Amino acid sequence: MNWENILEFARGPFFQVALLVFVAGMAYRLVRVLALGWKPDRVKAKGSRVGGVAVSFLKGIIIWPFVPWVKNTFSRNPVIYLAGGLFHLGLFVVIFLGTAHMLVWKSLLGIGWFTLPLPIVDWLAAGAIVAMIALFINRLVNPVLKLLTGPAEWLNWLIVFLPMVTGYIMTHHLWLEYDTLFALHMLAVDVLLIWIPMSRISHFMFYFFAKAIHGSDFGKRAVTP
Amino acid sequence: MPDETIGQHLKRQGISRRDFVKMCGVLVGAMGLRYAPPLDESGLPAHLENVRGFTSAAFIADTLASKPRVPVIWLEFQDCAGCSEALTRSQDPTLVDLVLNTITIEYHETLSAAAGFQAEQAKQDAMKKYAGKYVLVVEGSIPTDNDGVYCTIGGRTAVDLLKEAAAGAAAIIATGNCASFGGIPKAKPNPTGAKGVWELITDKPVVNIPGCPAIPEATTGTIANFIVFGALPQLDSLHRPLTFYGHTIHDRCLRRAFYEAGKFAESFDDEGAKQGWCLYKLGCKGPTTYNSCATIKWDQGLSFPIQSGHPCLGCSEPNFWDGGGFYQGQSAPLDRPTITAVGAAAAAGAVIGVGVAAANRMQKTSAKVEKGG
Amino acid sequence: MEKSQTAVNTFVKETGAWIAAQLEACTRCGMCAEACHFYQGTGNPEYAPVWKIELLRRAYEQRFTLSGKFKLALGLEKAVTDADLTHWSEIDYYACTMCNKCSMVCPMGINLGSMIHDVRTGLSNAQAVPADLHAAVEKQENEGSPLGVTDAVFKQRIEWVADEWEIELPVDVKGADTLVVFSSIEVMKFPSNLAAIAKIMNAAGEKWTISTKGREVVNFGFYEGNEELTVLFASRVFDAAKELGVKRVMVTECGHAYDALRWSAANFMQVPAGIEVTHIAGVLGEFVKSGRIKLKPGAYDNDGAITFHDACKIQRRGSHIQEPRDILNILAPKSFKEMTPNKEEAICCGGGGGVIAIKDADPIRYAAFELKIDQIKKANAKTVAMVCSNCRLQFTDSVQHFNLDVKVAGLSQMVADALVEK
Repeated sequence: MNWENILEFARGPFFQVALLVFVAGMAYRLVRVLALGWKPDRVKAKGSRVGGVAVSFLKGIIIWPFVPWVKNTFSRNPVIYLAGGLFHLGLFVVIFLGTAHMLVWKSLLGIGWFTLPLPIVDWLAAGAIVAMIALFINRLVNPVLKLLTGPAEWLNWLIVFLPMVTGYIMTHHLWLEYDTLFALHMLAVDVLLIWIPMSRISHFMFYFFAKAIHGSDFGKRAVTP
Repeated sequence: MPDETIGQHLKRQGISRRDFVKMCGVLVGAMGLRYAPPLDESGLPAHLENVRGFTSAAFIADTLASKPRVPVIWLEFQDCAGCSEALTRSQDPTLVDLVLNTITIEYHETLSAAAGFQAEQAKQDAMKKYAGKYVLVVEGSIPTDNDGVYCTIGGRTAVDLLKEAAAGAAAIIATGNCASFGGIPKAKPNPTGAKGVWELITDKPVVNIPGCPAIPEATTGTIANFIVFGALPQLDSLHRPLTFYGHTIHDRCLRRAFYEAGKFAESFDDEGAKQGWCLYKLGCKGPTTYNSCATIKWDQGLSFPIQSGHPCLGCSEPNFWDGGGFYQGQSAPLDRPTITAVGAAAAAGAVIGVGVAAANRMQKTSAKVEKGG
Repeated sequence: MEKSQTAVNTFVKETGAWIAAQLEACTRCGMCAEACHFYQGTGNPEYAPVWKIELLRRAYEQRFTLSGKFKLALGLEKAVTDADLTHWSEIDYYACTMCNKCSMVCPMGINLGSMIHDVRTGLSNAQAVPADLHAAVEKQENEGSPLGVTDAVFKQRIEWVADEWEIELPVDVKGADTLVVFSSIEVMKFPSNLAAIAKIMNAAGEKWTISTKGREVVNFGFYEGNEELTVLFASRVFDAAKELGVKRVMVTECGHAYDALRWSAANFMQVPAGIEVTHIAGVLGEFVKSGRIKLKPGAYDNDGAITFHDACKIQRRGSHIQEPRDILNILAPKSFKEMTPNKEEAICCGGGGGVIAIKDADPIRYAAFELKIDQIKKANAKTVAMVCSNCRLQFTDSVQHFNLDVKVAGLSQMVADALVEK
């Protein structure tokens, strides 16, 4: 078993299995939650529920990343704000607008799209890695996070961090051979894919529900969410 | 006449010492000073001390001239003779020429004038005469399934012939991807059970010179290294000489700047292709391929595939034939799950989800709340 | 049955897809803590809103999810115990006003406020409610009011207010348009508010009445999370409204009652059709806008800066954000100054959600109020106006506790005092 075989395994059968586990797991999570039953809100609305949902999402997209200082909590704990934001920005740019990753999507979906020059993607990737380290330290020192953090949270951090750091080292041809790093990167990605449905990393799916519930509640009361 | 020294042989060929030193200069460059063998292993520590003040080319020339020509036995198994072709068709006036002058090829199926049992006899004689001294070069993969019946010469299997020749070899060089890693014969489903030399010969150092074909300068440079230093060059984990396989194509690619800038050819005839932009999106395997195509190039340094507008296939890497489509992005997974498989996975997840949710709803109805416990 | 089992079973019963989706969305980033005045005031990490729903999360994961069951079996997570209930009883009742500010900062938009209410329901069913609060709830159940406003006391109080301020207070008038329901805090501690509201209603020519049956608007059952009593207390008001045949019920300066009656009642009980629930803040705005009452412009411009405190249940959760500001811009156009943050992002007073009724919670209640002091000082305000008598009680008490030179005023009182007689 050399790195070539491991790479072939990680890019081939293991990746496929991981992808299928991911799909099955996410479908399971979603259905298990949604099929638990809903209660209609019989309260007469003052404002528009749909409008509230729309504003809730707009605020999530615009205010959160771009004008956070309107929130007074920003000044109280900017690390978590900035690091969290930078991490997500870097992550999205790298996995959607990095050329190598776009080709993965292309091979899976059949369609490709525009990508950004490597240095831009690269700096954002570096930013995301630094942000993750900041979030790690924050988890170590923040009293609330110390209370909330258990093995699951540390594991989540590690499993997200590994693909990022192996990807970064690979792009820069540091220390180990490219194929070795490629294999490690793919293994880390496969593990991540399998881990997502079993962990809170799947928040990206429930985000839409929570935000909608929040927006609808505030919209009903005619208050800006 | 293998018994005369290389110096004597060259003189007889009409090559002046001046030309010879020049050739050796090229040789030094090709072998790469950076990866010269460690002094204590090269067998020449004292010489190197004395050599200060001389040019290394002159030193190599002196060393070479005093050595006898090296006998070479060249075996071909599941091959296309492409590596031999590449080597012999090479018109390189210096390096390849030089090396061909420093060796005597005792046995080569494609080049040999003799045929049949005479040729086999010649090989047997050579192996006996130069036992422990000859260099064995192997071209083509070795079939191992069904006792190796898929490739036999003179009624003997390739495995048998290889083991016999390897036993008395001073060094073994596997040239081309087939001899190194199994190459195209090993492509899925590998019907003959093809293997590379180093998978079968484990008691002796095997140098791999992969490529399809192997770059002639890489093969000859390695032989030259053996002649000059009496030892094999420094190798990587896949037994490839670091001199020739120390960097990826991508690292030395003339289109690298376009990669960094995010300028890619999207198809073979678009504006990007005409502008000479990076071929990454067209499936170039340069970033994972270790070889010197981008520096030594082909046809006396005229060009190499990427320069000519075609993405690198990664032909010097193990299993390149099965490494995903040649024109599919190098980062893409090797295969994608079928839409049916994805649908089935989603459906399976959903079904379990419905089941668990139903159980949970039963819990909700059956949960008893007694005030105060 | 163990207490903890009752609590967990309650959580199981009340957890629907909407709660599950929100619990699943939580990334445990801890950002909600930065929104909580109790955490900021005390620095106690256990007051982080996400920690307040820890029991609900555990119950959900351990009863409904495979990973939760797995973790429980491996001993990575602990089951909910009776000791936990005692522990979280303090966290959820002492240190939460259910102001829902946390949901404003949650990156996932999780409505923590309503989930903490669900946790309180579980604790209430398991009878893990702080004694002070539960005593008040029982008092409301038995006497009709947590502050001891029995029938006799109420009648006596109304008569006294009518006498003292020489104002007409219609009682049990059938066919009136608006049923005005006061909170016992106003009846007992701020009786002038009764007179002020009566004066405004009369000046506007509103056909209104108070009811001896539905005389208490506060709903301590809602604070406790006690579902049956919440319904009982709310139905006392709705029954009175139905009996008197009014078109609308007006909640006076009380926050949580408005949340309960206007925004929640339809989901936990049968609300009589055709009866609208409104709040004095909205009604004042309506009167001023339509010209039914006239205010003396600039009436409060000479007493130093005035600021407005947004109550969590009336502004952030009740939307009457603009009306009080419109009124203050008439009453004190020059001296009205906003605190920051304000409106739906405002910082809660720290006394709501039943916290002020719990004696042992006093230290953290005062600690939370220090954020408010800071805001007031930054706005350099001499007067703080508000439309919630629970906030007003917290302000009055805390201003005294901290010995501050700040006047606390109910907006209705200010409006009544600045009415221009027609």
